[in-house]
Formats: sequence, C-alpha cells, structure tokens
Amino acid sequence: MASAGSGDEKAAAAAMITLISSDNEKFEVTEATATLSQTIRHMIEDGCTDGGVPLPNVTSKILARVIEYCKKHATAAAGEEGSSSSFSDAAFLEVDRAFLEELEEFDDAFLEVDRATLFDLILAANYLDIKGLLNLTCQKVADSVKGKTPEQIREMYNIVNDLTPEEEAEIRRETQWAFE
Amino acid sequence: MELETLVGTLPGLPLDVLEVILGSLEIPDLIRAGSVCCSWRAAYTSLRDLGRYKQSQTPCLFYSSKSAGDNVACLYSLVEKRVYKLTLPEPPIRSRILIGSSNGWLITADERLELLLVNPVTGEQIALPSVVTIEHKVYREPEIHDRNDLREELYFKAFLFPDLSSGSYIVVLIHHPYYQLSFARAGDDKWTWMPPNAGYRDCMYMDGVLYALTKLGEIDAFDLSGSTVTRTVIVGKVKDYIYESMYIIPSPWGGLLQVWRIVDIPRHEVGEGPEIFYAPDHKGWRVKNHRVHELEDSGAPGILKHPEQEDEDCDAPGIEHALEQGDVDVLENGPATYVKYITKKIQVYKVDMVGKELVKVYCLPEHLLFLGHNQSLCLCAEEHPQLKANHVYFTDDHKELIMSFKDANRDIGVLNLENHKRKEILSKIWCDLPCPTWIVPNLTKMNSAFRK
Repeated sequence: MASAGSGDEKAAAAAMITLISSDNEKFEVTEATATLSQTIRHMIEDGCTDGGVPLPNVTSKILARVIEYCKKHATAAAGEEGSSSSFSDAAFLEVDRAFLEELEEFDDAFLEVDRATLFDLILAANYLDIKGLLNLTCQKVADSVKGKTPEQIREMYNIVNDLTPEEEAEIRRETQWAFE
Repeated sequence: MELETLVGTLPGLPLDVLEVILGSLEIPDLIRAGSVCCSWRAAYTSLRDLGRYKQSQTPCLFYSSKSAGDNVACLYSLVEKRVYKLTLPEPPIRSRILIGSSNGWLITADERLELLLVNPVTGEQIALPSVVTIEHKVYREPEIHDRNDLREELYFKAFLFPDLSSGSYIVVLIHHPYYQLSFARAGDDKWTWMPPNAGYRDCMYMDGVLYALTKLGEIDAFDLSGSTVTRTVIVGKVKDYIYESMYIIPSPWGGLLQVWRIVDIPRHEVGEGPEIFYAPDHKGWRVKNHRVHELEDSGAPGILKHPEQEDEDCDAPGIEHALEQGDVDVLENGPATYVKYITKKIQVYKVDMVGKELVKVYCLPEHLLFLGHNQSLCLCAEEHPQLKANHVYFTDDHKELIMSFKDANRDIGVLNLENHKRKEILSKIWCDLPCPTWIVPNLTKMNSAFRK
C-alpha cells in the first residue's frame, strides 16, 4: 500500500510527494500524479508539502483508489503529450483513440464499487478538487437516478426524507406531472 | 429505530456536488431528484433559480388529446419514451391554435385571436400585445357559424427569443397577408411592423440580430438592439417559390443553415387517391376523390407504415412502442377521413455569407435537426445519446394543407439524411388543434412579464 507510486517509472526522476490518509497511512506518489488534484497542486506551489500532505478527510481505502485513478489519468496525459511530437497526425490520432478507449475501460471498471464507496470517492474528489474524478463519479450517480421515483432514490442511497409534509405538498402542487 | 436509520445512511453530499449531479439531468428527472430530501431540494432550487441545470434539454413532442382533457398538454419524452401530462391554465389548450414553440414556451392563439405565451412546465402564462395592434393585418370580426378559422388566416409562425439588450424577451411574428414580420418586446403594448419585405417563413436570433428567411431563400437581418430597426440583406433570392417548408437555423459550429423540406402527396392507387389542388376561389386547398380510409392494420394499433417506408434502419430506440405507453387517442375517433401527405425530402444548405450563396450539405454526422412549428433546432448528437445523428426529427407544419383538412393525419417522424428513409415517432395523431410540435422543456420563470 505504501509503495503506491513506485510503478510510475516515467516520472521517476520527478519529485515525489507523500500523502497521509486520515488513518495515518503514507502514500508516495509522483508530482504528476498528485497535481491532478488542484488542492495538492496549490499546496506544492505554496511549498507546504515537506513532511507529507495530511488529508484528514480521506481514509486510506479511498485514498488508494483516488491515487489509482490519478496515476492512470496522469500517465494518459503524459502519453498524449509525448505522442504529439513524435508521431504523424494519423498515427497520433490512432494513439489518441487507443488511449481514450483504454481510459474509458479503466473508468468503467473503476466505477464498479458499492454506493458507500462511490459517495466517499465523490467527497474525496470534491475535497481534493480532482475535476475528472468528480465528474465521473457524479455522472454515475446521475445515471443511477434517471427514471426513478424519489422513493426509489431514497432507498437506493439510504437517504432519509427530511422534507416537511408542507414542502412535499408544495412540490406536488407545482410539479405533480413529473410524479405520475 | 433512529440509530438503525443512521447506520445505513450514506454521507451527505455538499450542495456544490449535488448541483453537479442534478445539473446533468433532464427536467423530469431533475424534479424527482429535487424532492428526495432537503439537501437535494436545495440543489434543485439553486439550479432552477440560477438557470444552471442542463441547458441542452432533449426536445419533447407536445400534443393534446381528447382523452387527456381539454386543458392538458401531453409531452412525449424521446429520452424516456413516455408521456407526461401537464395541466395548463385557461383557456383550454385544445381551444387554441399553435403559432410557435421557442425556449420552452408555446405561442398560442385563443378563440378571440389573442396571443398567449404558455410554459407547460412552469404553468406560467403571459398575454402578448392585442391582435388589434398588429399593423397591415388581415382581420375581420368573426361571423356566426364562420367556417374558416380566422386565426389561421392571420398567423403563420411566432418565435420567442431572449432579448439580450433588456435582459428579457422579444416575440417575433410572421403574419398574413403576405407573411410579413412584426415584433414586440417585453412590456410593449403594441406590435411593431417590420417593412418592407414579405414572404417570410422562418426566423432565428443571434447576438441581438434577427435573421428572417423568405420563401425565395432570401435572408434579411434586422438589428433589434437599438431603438430603430435596420434591415440588411444577407443573401438575395436563391430559388423560385415552390410549395415546401423552409427553415433557418444557427449551426453549432457558427454560421447559418437553410433547410428546405419537400412534402409529397402520394396517390396510393391511380385514380383512387385523393387529389389536392389549390382553389383560388376558396383561397385554400381542396381535395378531389376524397374517400374514407380505414386505419391501416399493421399489427399494433394506430401504427402507420407508409408503403415506401420499410423496416430498414428501424432501431430508433423504442419509438415504435410509444403508443402502448402513451395512450395517444388516435383511435378514439374510429375510422376517419384523412389525406396523407408526407415529408419526402429534406435538403440542408450552409449559408456562405461572403459569397452570398448556399452550399449543399449532404450529411450532418455529429448533429441532428428538429423542424416543425417550433423554433428550428440543430443539436449536437453527443449531448443527446438517445437520439440519432444525421437525422431530422420533424412535425407537421404544412399550414395550407392543415387549414383545409383538419382531420388529416399528421406528418410526424424521423428522416435519415443519408438515405431519406423516414420512420414514424408517435404514429397517427388525429387531434386537430393545436398542432403537435417540438418543445424544449424550460424550468426558468420569465422575470419581466409582457403587458397586454
């Protein structure tokens, strides 16, 4: 777990950053991987990453998944940059498409998690400000509520209905048609 | 008990995250998700009030039906393949005719010939300046037992555009005689006539400029941002007039598109089919050999298959099943007299503004069109994965024919630009008034109302 960043040989020469989860586990990642998070990017810019970056809102379980996502997408981004200078346009498009397909497959597999993990990933992506991961996970939730009634959505995500009867009545009065 | 509930509860998502989630939904899903709990409700309210929900909503087919009720608008969702029924304010929607559909608003004319904007989703309704303030109009007091609908004699098509200069809205009207233009801004108490040209068929609005297309393919631009309206000719006459529907659309990649839609009135069997001709004495279209047709039996109730349209390319997702779910009361009138006229061909042109000519476009691989009584639309296929790229979704807008044959079956369907094959969407809709049309649902309330 602690060597999560060691496979990233491409950026081996680059600076390494240590991330510390809420349960005190340390993850060493390359700067390229870490800076997919705008929050961490700003910390690096401000020079406050010496001695590791404590992330008190993210558990080691979730942080490991987030790092997995960032490594994949950082590699893809680096690969695209590299390919644009060394391939012809047609070859570049081919490589580009292959990258995108691989990324899509990765994203699909990445989203195969239970709903509690999905919500934790959303919270982590939001806290760390990782736009791609936030959009990906939010889209997953959005897709899951399509065509569902409020009751079904509550059941799916264990959400307690805390609307007052008056509020519910008002919603029904304004938009009854959407519930029939 | 309370503890048990809490154990299974997922962490609450912050408002900005809920806004990202709800902000990607179509309006019916957005409304339902917005009534899950207080925090989801807060995200819904914020998105609605700031207009930050998904703006590229998928158009729905608006129609009415006797069985749903006189005040009910039916919206058929192409995404969910189901019908929503929305109750509208008085007067009954089935007593009005449809003049246009823009930005989520239907533009309708009531039995007194007065124009009303109505947003089916919000139920908001706004009266436009009175019919008596339209200059150079054809207008007479309705006579008792008047057989002609004066509304059809007066109005052709109307549009509602956001007016950037005032932060409100502007309504543009094509009216008779001669298909002239008039407009009214929010708060106006009368219509302003826009001379001198005529023969307009469709309008679009971009960056404060109104572009109006004539039956000869001419495009006039009107700058509506100042106090005086100035007209510039963008493209001159490019064709002679033939009977067809014409549209002008801003294309998503910039510039303008012109679209011509050719309608055919096929005779099924020589000598037996109805023949349609224009009768100058009656100022309208008439039919010879008019006969009673039985509804064609094609397996499912009310599904019409044109002989020329076979089952190729029939994977338009779920469209054929709409009737089962969507109780369109096409059968309630039983066997009916009808005349078939169908969209035969749709030709798209790119407008070359410099060369002042049209360039034929053979396909729109990443886009799709919505044509009819609505403000003409060109949408990105990527934003509407349930719809088909390079296809045209069309509703009936053959006004001259509709005027004469109120019980004609509607020309509604999807046409593939590649091979010009057409598919039905909601089979036969017999309802006479108002004419079915596309509407892009809109949750935003109009801020400053039009005054009558």
